[in-house]
Amino acid sequence: MRTILILIKKEFLQVFRNPLLLSILVVAPMVEFMIFPFCADYEIKVLNIAFIDNDRSQISKDIIHSFNSSNIFVSKGLLTSKKEADEKMKHDKIDLLVEFPSHFEEALYKNESTQIAVTANAINSVKAGIGTGYVQEIIGGYMQDFAASHTPTGMSTAMMQQEMMKEMSKARASDDRRPSIVMPTTSVVPQTPVRINISNIYWYNEQMNYKNLIVPGILVILVTLIGCYVTALNLVREKEIGTIEQVNVTPIRRWQFLLGKMIPFWLLGMAEFGAGLIIMKFVFGISVQGSLPLLLGITAIYLFVMLGLGFFISSVSENQLQSMFIVLFLFIVFVLLSGVFTPTEGMPEWAHKINYVNPMSFYIEVIKKVILKGSEFESVMRETIVLSVMAVIINTGAVLSYREASK
Amino acid sequence: MSAINIRGVNKTYDGKTAALKDITLEVEEGEVFGLVGPDGAGKSSLFNILTTLLLPDGGEISLFGMDVIRDYKSVRQVIGYLPGTFSLYPDLSVQENLDFFAVMYKSSIEENMALIEPIWKQISPFKDRKAGKLSGGMKQKLALCCALIHRPRVLFLDEPTTGVDPVSRKEFWDILKSIRSQNITVMVSTPYMDEATRCDRIALIQNGKIIGVNPPQTIIDQFKGKLYTFQSDDIFSLMQVLEKCPLDCNYYPYGEHCHIAFYEDMDTAMPAFKQFLAEHNQSHGEIQAIQPSVEDCFIEIVQRNN
Repeated sequence: MRTILILIKKEFLQVFRNPLLLSILVVAPMVEFMIFPFCADYEIKVLNIAFIDNDRSQISKDIIHSFNSSNIFVSKGLLTSKKEADEKMKHDKIDLLVEFPSHFEEALYKNESTQIAVTANAINSVKAGIGTGYVQEIIGGYMQDFAASHTPTGMSTAMMQQEMMKEMSKARASDDRRPSIVMPTTSVVPQTPVRINISNIYWYNEQMNYKNLIVPGILVILVTLIGCYVTALNLVREKEIGTIEQVNVTPIRRWQFLLGKMIPFWLLGMAEFGAGLIIMKFVFGISVQGSLPLLLGITAIYLFVMLGLGFFISSVSENQLQSMFIVLFLFIVFVLLSGVFTPTEGMPEWAHKINYVNPMSFYIEVIKKVILKGSEFESVMRETIVLSVMAVIINTGAVLSYREASK
Repeated sequence: MSAINIRGVNKTYDGKTAALKDITLEVEEGEVFGLVGPDGAGKSSLFNILTTLLLPDGGEISLFGMDVIRDYKSVRQVIGYLPGTFSLYPDLSVQENLDFFAVMYKSSIEENMALIEPIWKQISPFKDRKAGKLSGGMKQKLALCCALIHRPRVLFLDEPTTGVDPVSRKEFWDILKSIRSQNITVMVSTPYMDEATRCDRIALIQNGKIIGVNPPQTIIDQFKGKLYTFQSDDIFSLMQVLEKCPLDCNYYPYGEHCHIAFYEDMDTAMPAFKQFLAEHNQSHGEIQAIQPSVEDCFIEIVQRNN
């Protein structure tokens, strides 16, 4: 006990005497919290849009006008040719192009099928996807109003939208840079006017505020960095300066030594997590919906997974550079697969399988569920069990791989 | 009772570089035992094995009857080790380092203050200074304190004086003598032959092999040849000429001089040698008979082994 206490004391003395490490521990989380949530935002706030109106009818003018009333779209006016539009898109002057065919209005009144072409710059696929979605919404909305005010024969709104979806999936690419989406619109004149209003309610994050997703994500990054990075560098440094030899010739047991190293970094990690929660509450106004002890408990387990991993890495590497590269590699894989900042739903099946061994993916689930959703233990039990098993395995591995005598 | 008993120890790195070949040694309790040999002879490998840091490929080693491999835990309680490179925590102070290692050995500074006092007195004025900021000699003294803090029965010192100035080196050896008087067995390696004479017994090691274990005086007494030193301003041309010397002799540069060991009856050989020098225009300088040092003996043994 006395042995472990002096090891802990030694570790704390070293941490607090290392100005670089200390500033990383204090400044890094601050910077991450103060900068990242404000700039990592998937919300598209501005979309530059232009139109080619070959119809010049009242309806096409009305549709174009309805874009002006949206606060997302910035109209770049009417263009005369496809070539001009092409040029503008190449120079990023416009993100979207909406083209009305000639006899558009006429076709609508005659109840014939007609098409509006929407072309999006898909260099940023998220932007293109969201942009075309908005365009669809606006045109769809207009068509609904149009259908309501022109009662006679035709397709029902619902049918029209179905038709639209079908065509969307056949989206034709004009070239690989700009796939264009062809939207059919039919004269939309339902026999029995059916009004279907879809209203979206987003649970657990009513305003669809991206900060609510980013900030817990940063908490995860923070805990992972302290747990894995700092410890991986710490043990290997003792190897580099030779102090590990001096410790190894003492009668201390290896589990004592590792525990004496883990506890200080575990405490530091928990302190960082606590500081993160406070920042989250008072700066971003996100308070923990679920149980705080539950959150802290699972974080404690997750930290042990990361500490064990850090020690495992440092006992298999010979110098700080090696261990740094291994941690960096794993860290990127963890972050990109875990769904901390990107949705995992679109990932292929094999990637989901990799996530079964990715501790971060389980932990982010817990964080999101407990902080945003207020989940109880039952709904995070699976994650807790998996993380506990991981902690046991990786720490056993760390103790075994840390050899006192070399062969 | 022998303190250290080594029987047929082998060590090969990466399956090809043989570092230690069939080492057999016995160190008596309470003696200062020197391991003398050039760099790369296998001194550090042997130390690492004795201090349980490295596993040998074969052979048996016991410390006071405890097997170094099987009973490594109890062995660690009775050994103190000063590695070849400074390996205390540079960011901890002198006092903190000592505290730390005292607890690691389940001992305390007060318990063994009597043992380390002569050394501690010299470094205690700097006890709040970071270990990394100490001078080379001070670092060694602190490391020695840390290695002695649990009153080990055997102290292993791997080249403790390499890179230390001559005054500190002398001080260091005086300390070793006083440690010995506390009935602590000391095993020390050094590349400096002059230090070897201060040991009770020395083992000469070369290319991983022990090539003789004896008290320094015995080693010197066993010197076979008759040793002369040749002082001259032009050692270089002398060395070139000596290549053609018909007499049975062995020569090597020694500091600013040239040492020549003759294996002849000197009554007839010396005149012949002087004539040989005259014939080759090497009459300059002066020849003097001298007592061999441990280094001369080492060179002789190495030459004869080859």
